[in-house]
Amino acid sequence: MSIVSDLFFILQGITATISISFLSFGIGFLLGILLAFIRLYAPKPAALLGDAYVKLFLGVPVLVFMLLFHFGFGQFIPFFKSAYFSSVFALGLRSGAYQSQIFRAAINSIPRDQLLAARALGLTDTQILRYVVLPQAFIVALPGLGSEIALLIKDSAYAFILGVLDITKYADILRAAYREFVAPYILAAMLYIMLTFPIANYLDKLGSKLKKKYAL
Amino acid sequence: MSSETILEGQGIWKIYGELEVLRGVDIDIRRGQTKVIIGPSGSGKSTLLRILGFLEPPTRGRVLFRGRDVYGEGLDLAKIRSKIGFVFQQPSLFRHLTALENIKLGPRLVLGMSDREAEKRAWEMLKLVHLEEFADYYPAQLSGGQQQRVAIARALAMNPDILLLDEPTANLDIELTWEVIEVMEELARKGITMLVVTHEIPFAREVADEICFISDGVIQECNEPEEMIKNPKTPRARVFLKRLLGEV
Repeated sequence: MSIVSDLFFILQGITATISISFLSFGIGFLLGILLAFIRLYAPKPAALLGDAYVKLFLGVPVLVFMLLFHFGFGQFIPFFKSAYFSSVFALGLRSGAYQSQIFRAAINSIPRDQLLAARALGLTDTQILRYVVLPQAFIVALPGLGSEIALLIKDSAYAFILGVLDITKYADILRAAYREFVAPYILAAMLYIMLTFPIANYLDKLGSKLKKKYAL
Repeated sequence: MSSETILEGQGIWKIYGELEVLRGVDIDIRRGQTKVIIGPSGSGKSTLLRILGFLEPPTRGRVLFRGRDVYGEGLDLAKIRSKIGFVFQQPSLFRHLTALENIKLGPRLVLGMSDREAEKRAWEMLKLVHLEEFADYYPAQLSGGQQQRVAIARALAMNPDILLLDEPTANLDIELTWEVIEVMEELARKGITMLVVTHEIPFAREVADEICFISDGVIQECNEPEEMIKNPKTPRARVFLKRLLGEV
């Protein structure tokens, strides 16, 4: 097969790679904000539980969770019979842990005197969070979120082990079926670079620009 | 003077661990009054102001807002705070909002004004501090003095019963100090009730009704500006003022 036809073959996996990455990012985003709030503001037992959650996902390879969900939980829970959703779920849960770190640091970076000033105006805690803290925290978080998306795009490749037809899987099929040992993997690597670099770079630049504009 | 007492602290103590920052302070500010607090650093001035602004509860003692014991009666703190304007030593503007948006936020969220009403009000306040042409500037684009004037406008936009200012010019160089002081003097002349921690003696002399000297967590003495400056009664105030006025 030619390089061009190889490329088109591998491109069949791009939908899976992108959708797994972005779905798990979405789950991680919501979970990350929630966890950051819990770890920062919830009563101690809940905050400690949040910390424990983060430690768990920082300390265990995400592949182990993907295998556990699909081959383990998949025995009893129909949802996890899907390799695709097991992958999305495991990556999403881990991303929640990572993103809670990003959001917590960003929220902590907002100067205390702004919070005090908002309180002095008579804003409620919820209003302070919504109108003062979060808009600035999101800006501070942008570069970190860019790296997180890139990480998810790369780690979505583990889904191939569960049998998901993503970029890596299609590249590997070329090896197995056509005994092409080099070109498919190089093509896959180039595709990953084309996906990860622009997003991470854009969010990093945007974050730096806005940080400078507002002197955050 | 028989006008209404806006804020009153009765026997206020504040203790952090072993440290007694305030040790039984009594103070009151009446409507229309401008009161200035002076005192060495670490004497508890800022703590007292934060307690009077209901940003921090006292360890002991009562704080009355317009005659009502706020903590004793369990009143809604956010609501009381909205009636007390507060300007901090650090420029504390919301950095993601323009000058105009900074001023609008409180009226919109706390007073429930429509966007249009809040905007109108914000323009009036900007005019009051002579910063109309900077409405669309972000805090990062403003000088320290301009930031403090926006902070004053932001506090005034809530139409508070009293304005508390905690060393609003301490971080500014002389030129910028002057523009903030000028605004504060205009407000005092307009009859806005103010309690100001400051060491700008010319300001105190010009507009204050009374200067109080605080040291070691206690108000040592209060008096009319001329009397306090020329003839302080307590030895501590005498030493402090001499140093402040550069007569040592």
